[in-house]
Amino acid sequence: MDSRVAKRYARALFNAAERAGVIEAVESDLGAISSLAADNAQFRGFLQSPRISRDDKVRIAERLFSDRVTALSMSMLRLMLNKRRESEFDAIREEYVRMRRERGSVLYAVITSAVELTESEKTALISKLSSQSGKTVEPDFRIDPALMGGVKVAVGDYVLDGTVRGSLNLLRDRLKYDLLKQH
Amino acid sequence: MANQKSSSGLPFPVILVIGIAMMAGGFYVSKNVHIEFLTKLAEQGISLDPGKTISAIGVLLILFPVIRSFYIGPLGDAISGRTAELERTFTEAESLRSEMTQMRSDYERRLVETESAAREQIQSEIRKAQELRGQLEADARSRADEYLHKAQADIENEKNRVITDLRLHVVDLTLGATEKILGENVDSDRNRKLIAEFIDKVEVPG
Repeated sequence: MDSRVAKRYARALFNAAERAGVIEAVESDLGAISSLAADNAQFRGFLQSPRISRDDKVRIAERLFSDRVTALSMSMLRLMLNKRRESEFDAIREEYVRMRRERGSVLYAVITSAVELTESEKTALISKLSSQSGKTVEPDFRIDPALMGGVKVAVGDYVLDGTVRGSLNLLRDRLKYDLLKQH
Repeated sequence: MANQKSSSGLPFPVILVIGIAMMAGGFYVSKNVHIEFLTKLAEQGISLDPGKTISAIGVLLILFPVIRSFYIGPLGDAISGRTAELERTFTEAESLRSEMTQMRSDYERRLVETESAAREQIQSEIRKAQELRGQLEADARSRADEYLHKAQADIENEKNRVITDLRLHVVDLTLGATEKILGENVDSDRNRKLIAEFIDKVEVPG
């Protein structure tokens, strides 16, 4: 995928959505289309097929989405199909979401725990993250039993690991480092 | 033949004239001159005719140059020629002998020189071979030492690697056992406590 193309499309879409005041709606549309492409092999094949003409793709996409997504999202989808940029769809959506978070001073945090956090734990953690970063936290809660215990927060390029698995991995790395350093 | 001279140095025509004169004179003496003394000798059985003798001498004087010209001369020439040829042959043979002697001495000298050169060449080659052998031995020793050191280093590295692998394996086994123990012992309360501690201590990097 060409990230420069994705950024250009995403910036244009975001600016248009911002002017129209439909940033969240467009993001929701992009998420829905992306989920459909991920979950539905037939739709994914339709998008990726080189044998279906552009006009047919546009006509089918309009029939599928014109009454379900915003006009701006539909225009964007139409443009992408006409320009043969279907493969860039996910990259454009990710870039769009990143721009939305950046513009809204939103901190996207992937919070992973071995068991589901209680509401009070979620609230306390979000509050702590928000107060320390000075940004609105957009949490993405996930559950991974392999972590054994504790919780892990991934913010951008940083990972704050408070899990048993993380501690064990750190211990393993330190032991191996010490062993390899001896030779 | 006309210009030939007798052994006494007189020319042949003169001798011829003398011989003819003596023949004629002797014939005349034999026919016309009677000497008493000779008659007495004839009566005693000793026939002696001076005229015939003179005639015979004249004949001999005439015949001798002829014989000398047609027999003795060519014979002498043939003998001289033969002698000269023999002398030449002997000279050539002598020359050939000396030449062969020279060639033999040259050959022997060359043989000696060749043997000497060959000996020197052999010695030189032997020296070179010995030097080469020494060099090859040194190279082989050096290479063998290098291989030995490399092999020792490889063995040492391999030993260290195996020991390290073993220790890493021990670490993995130990941590695997630890994980199992922890997995069995981290209950809900402990988990809640861990989460609470994390929330309490978490710090978001600026």
